[in-house]
Amino acid sequence: MIRNIIKGLILTFLCIPANAENMLSGWKYTARFGYNIGGTAPIGMPATIRSMNKYKMQPNFSLGVDAQKVITGKWGILTGIHTESKGMEVDATVKNYHMVMTKGGDELEGYYTGNLVTECEEWMLTLPVMATYDISDKVRLKLGPYISYVSTRVFKGYVYDGYLRRMTPTGEKIEIGNTEESRGSYDFSDNMRHIQYGVDAGVDWQFSTRWGAYADIQWGVTGIHKSSFKTIEQTLFPIFGTLGITYYLK
Amino acid sequence: MTAVLCIGITSCFKEEPLNAECDIEKAWIHYENPQESTWNLSDTVIKVYSAENTIIFKVRPGTDRTRLAPMFITTEGATIVPESGTMHDFSNGPLAYTVTSQDKDWQRIYNVAFTEEHRTVRDTIAYDFERVFLFTDPQTKKQYYKWSDLKEDGTEANNWASGNGGFSMASPSAKADEYPTTPNADGYDGKCVKLTTTKTGPLGQGARMPMAAGNLFLGSFITQTALIDALRSTHFGLPFDKKPVRFTGYYKYFPGEKFQDRYGNIEEGRVDKGAIYAILYKNHDNDGNPVVLYGDNVQTSEQIVAKAIMPEVRPTSEWTEFDLSFDYYENEIDMEDINNFKYSLAIVFSSSDQGAYFQGAIGSTLYIDKVKIICEKTK
Repeated sequence: MIRNIIKGLILTFLCIPANAENMLSGWKYTARFGYNIGGTAPIGMPATIRSMNKYKMQPNFSLGVDAQKVITGKWGILTGIHTESKGMEVDATVKNYHMVMTKGGDELEGYYTGNLVTECEEWMLTLPVMATYDISDKVRLKLGPYISYVSTRVFKGYVYDGYLRRMTPTGEKIEIGNTEESRGSYDFSDNMRHIQYGVDAGVDWQFSTRWGAYADIQWGVTGIHKSSFKTIEQTLFPIFGTLGITYYLK
Repeated sequence: MTAVLCIGITSCFKEEPLNAECDIEKAWIHYENPQESTWNLSDTVIKVYSAENTIIFKVRPGTDRTRLAPMFITTEGATIVPESGTMHDFSNGPLAYTVTSQDKDWQRIYNVAFTEEHRTVRDTIAYDFERVFLFTDPQTKKQYYKWSDLKEDGTEANNWASGNGGFSMASPSAKADEYPTTPNADGYDGKCVKLTTTKTGPLGQGARMPMAAGNLFLGSFITQTALIDALRSTHFGLPFDKKPVRFTGYYKYFPGEKFQDRYGNIEEGRVDKGAIYAILYKNHDNDGNPVVLYGDNVQTSEQIVAKAIMPEVRPTSEWTEFDLSFDYYENEIDMEDINNFKYSLAIVFSSSDQGAYFQGAIGSTLYIDKVKIICEKTK
């Protein structure tokens, strides 16, 4: 369904230039500085993930410039370019969770029960294309797709205080400790996608001539890993909220 | 916002899935006359490690095995057929027990046997390393070598163990011939054992186990604990019912070039040494609990009653004989205890004597063949 909405929105925007007399005039520019909070997670938590022990905030800054133009009445269009980070560090407890520990091409595959730490770091350039609707002079709603190019891709972590059953739950048990030597580590950075897209919904609030605030939710519809990557059974979607300030440029 | 997100995620957690594992974790048996049925009371309780699918209760010859009701502790929620504690006839061989996981998706089959443990007849026990098998892990399909001698009654002794199982974790892509403990065709007589201190793969390097010494010993290797406590994974020694006097055999030894520690630091000028030794120890403590020796106490435990340790395994490219006498701590050992399998014998060979601590020279190679334990003659 989300894909269809995006397709519809894209088609709408493609039609706009034909009707607009001069697309190049009437744009207003705004700088944005925000902070992303969220995570990459499966939609519908699998039963094998039992609890979250710790969630560590990351330096997930978002910096960008947007251009917005009124098309007709209260409706308008917004686009821009943002450089931003969507990282997370999560410590979770899992039960019978399919895992592959990797190092330098060697693998230990099996079903893991215990603690699992995941560190994800993604620096990206994001291009949103959104429809805007002004509900008052100061408040503007935004909705539309975005596409991101992920330049820095890190998805790695380790397991501790648990055990792995090799290949299947009946396989040999390997006990995992909590020292640097006896943990098992993994790194699936190379299996991550460069291109992500999704839907951004948000609200801008202009509280002075120059300054404003904004809040967005960016819901990824592509998993962070390539679709050929099957080690983690669930597709992990980046879902982040952004809070920040805006500065009207001209 | 974080709080909202956390609540959002927490609310998504589903009910705990049922257990998928289906292990027998422990097995025990109650005999009507335990003293007459077993050599050692501790033989009535068996801790079952995850890789094992055979459970063997040792009984004295002549024990009635037609009506026995072994009991089992299985993974929580798992079911076992036949049921734990039901009476069966074990006199015709092992009985298969099937354990089904709580989620019903997985099954394991265990063979449970009651085997007669006969007293050793021969005064000299020879180990020639001709009986070598290519073992295939049923789950990972990884292959490596194992050795087993025949007992005097013709049954498998499953007596030799090595760290090969640990190497299969540290270097999953290695082929059987690249493991630290392998057979070699150029023995003193027939095949021999070749022990090589081998560099581990990236997983082993990451676990600060940069090398694996080739080793072979009487006892068992518990892969389950190899990552968390490597020294405790080598269970040295098997029950032995003779008084050993001499430990003999043939070896060749080539130390590797660069001696290094666990962190990869090279120790200039240090030459690696092999290890050849045999240890006799009491296999129960004063409270009657069973004892095995581990990597960190195999030569120092207070349970030890006699040692035959080669002081220095020096480089030699020719087959060289060794002949070591057992040095007894106590003048008299309890012959009744010997006769009741209350002592265990550990024979240990390693291509690097500090290999248990991941120190040694990669490439150090020890060849072993024609080993004998010569015991005091029994009338």
